[in-house]
Amino acid sequence: MSKFASPGTHEVYHDRVVKILVMFSIFWALLGMIAGVYAAAELVWPALNLENPWLSFGRLRTLHTNVVIFGFGVSALMGTAYYSVQRTSHVPLFAPKLAWFTCWAWQIAILLGGISLLAGFNTSKEYAELEWPFDIAITLVWVCFAIVFFGTIATRRIREIYISNWFYGGLIIVIAMLHIVNNLAIPVTLTKSYSLYAGAQDAIVQWWYGHNAVGFLLTGGFLGMMYYFLPKQAERPIWSYRLSIVAFWAFAYSYIWAGPHHLHFNAVPEWVQNLGMLMSLVLLAPSWASMINGIMTVSTAWEKLRTDPALKFIVLALAFYGLATFEGPMMAIKTVNIISHFTDWTVGHVHSGALGWNALITFGTFYYLIPRLVGAPLYSVALANLHFWLALAGTMLYVVAMWGAGVSQGVLWLSLDELGELRYTFTEIMQAMYPYYLLRFIAGLVFLIGAALMAFNLWKTIAGRHTVTVHPPQVTEAYA
Amino acid sequence: MEKSFSCLSAACLLVRPGNAFETLAKLDPSPFGIFIKTALWLGILPPIFAYFGTMNYGWRLGTTSPIYLPENILLIISLSYFVALLFGFISAAVVSKWMASTYGARQSLGIHFAMICIVGAPLTAASLIHLYPDIFINILVLIPAVMWSMYLLYRGLPIVLHTTPERGMLMASALIGYFLVAFVSLLGITVSVWIYGIGPSLGI
Repeated sequence: MSKFASPGTHEVYHDRVVKILVMFSIFWALLGMIAGVYAAAELVWPALNLENPWLSFGRLRTLHTNVVIFGFGVSALMGTAYYSVQRTSHVPLFAPKLAWFTCWAWQIAILLGGISLLAGFNTSKEYAELEWPFDIAITLVWVCFAIVFFGTIATRRIREIYISNWFYGGLIIVIAMLHIVNNLAIPVTLTKSYSLYAGAQDAIVQWWYGHNAVGFLLTGGFLGMMYYFLPKQAERPIWSYRLSIVAFWAFAYSYIWAGPHHLHFNAVPEWVQNLGMLMSLVLLAPSWASMINGIMTVSTAWEKLRTDPALKFIVLALAFYGLATFEGPMMAIKTVNIISHFTDWTVGHVHSGALGWNALITFGTFYYLIPRLVGAPLYSVALANLHFWLALAGTMLYVVAMWGAGVSQGVLWLSLDELGELRYTFTEIMQAMYPYYLLRFIAGLVFLIGAALMAFNLWKTIAGRHTVTVHPPQVTEAYA
Repeated sequence: MEKSFSCLSAACLLVRPGNAFETLAKLDPSPFGIFIKTALWLGILPPIFAYFGTMNYGWRLGTTSPIYLPENILLIISLSYFVALLFGFISAAVVSKWMASTYGARQSLGIHFAMICIVGAPLTAASLIHLYPDIFINILVLIPAVMWSMYLLYRGLPIVLHTTPERGMLMASALIGYFLVAFVSLLGITVSVWIYGIGPSLGI
């Protein structure tokens, strides 16, 4: 039974690659948020584009979404997956050189991809804007990520595959499937390709990709993070392991159907729209099962709040996760969607998830992880606490501004006058959005300042310190 | 203040929360009394302000011409607003009581009714701005009111419900999660009833 043999004393966890990925994640977070805040400022003061196409809103917005999702988000997921899969398998990373390759190749892909977006090369598929050479490069890196992750699982010394690995594994498999299928295209030049799909089929495939990228990357991947790091921070096992397994399979089954809710009242079959709406409503159950599991786990570890600034971020992240995973199914209901679609309500919903859930749980995880990686206490607990309040204020202001803007737009787009004609012009409605966009800009700035404080705090914690050497522990017979 | 909880108590909490929380912590009010004497009045004021504001000025969404609603539609919307606020109040108090055992807090329903009144009081006070229903100005006024409500929730909950500050913080955060979901539900229900003709004239 060599597979479950005890570790040799020479074996160490490969944590340097984790540290580098976390540092890149923070770098991309700052860059992506700066792009977002600048783009938000352009909606208030359009002259800020300086009449330079590289600074036009369309390009900056795409840079913002790609850098925060794939730079900040995926680097964080890759780093935390590598950290947790070693510890839950009691074995160092499989193919550590390949892990280093995934780390650096991913950063280069994001850097060059970001530049290509600013230069105007764009497939026009939302969240899949990068042109075909980048798609191939991403596929290559992703396969290497899968080899490292699943190779580590395959060589594990613990019989059980811990729940966080199911979520990370689901992320890797489903994103590979979505990315490859949605990006099938015919290249015509190095920088231009045409999708293999056309018309309604293109839209359906695109939103099957788009919604499940939200599902398996921004929800599933970060749930993997939650399931490993929350019990570690709370120093408690997860409240109900059985519930977590049920939630994973229900989540994996139901999420994949929900994409058509992005295409309500469009030229796709009505039954497809209705099925998408129905499965979006079903999705609430597994989403909230994980939220309840998280809340109940942390509820028994309240005394940790006295000393651990990171736990607060995770508590708040769970509250926003509950909001976002409720609001999403609600907005998939056709009678709500007819008002909310094509408004800033959708933008607010995305950010209650992206800022309130993804960013906060990642910040909480980094505040836990970095001191342990370098074997030193956090540079400043006070700064982390200040960051918490800035993050909360920024998220709330953002969401409230977009609720106000979105519902107003929903009414104004559709308002009729006494003659049954549309009452307001597009220009008039956009002029009415000015104060909301100013509020959104301020909210983004507040959130960005908080993230910058975290970057400073974690840099001061890391600076001048080496990564701690950790050996895999002995595995008792009962678990092997 | 020593013997019962009323609208006056809620008003005291707005200006001197510290002392009021200590006093309230010693009380065990009846839920029915709180509902009749306080919650009903905190809940009825915003719809009244909204009714008269909309009748006089229309919904002002930042465009040149405001949206006026027919009087019967306005009445239905205002009454629905009142019912939604009362439902929100009662459901929040019941959810708070349900959460209490998890966080080691007091379980008497009356004290949870009182706690939710405390949280709602700044919002009722700020709802005076409904008299001029410019949506952005309403948002600007309601944001600090929401912040004050959250402050009262985080500060008052552990004192009033007899739990530790850390468990109080967790319970308050869980309640914030509930409030966010309740608010967004209200938003969803509101736009849904517009589709069925109870609201502005929409081209649907």
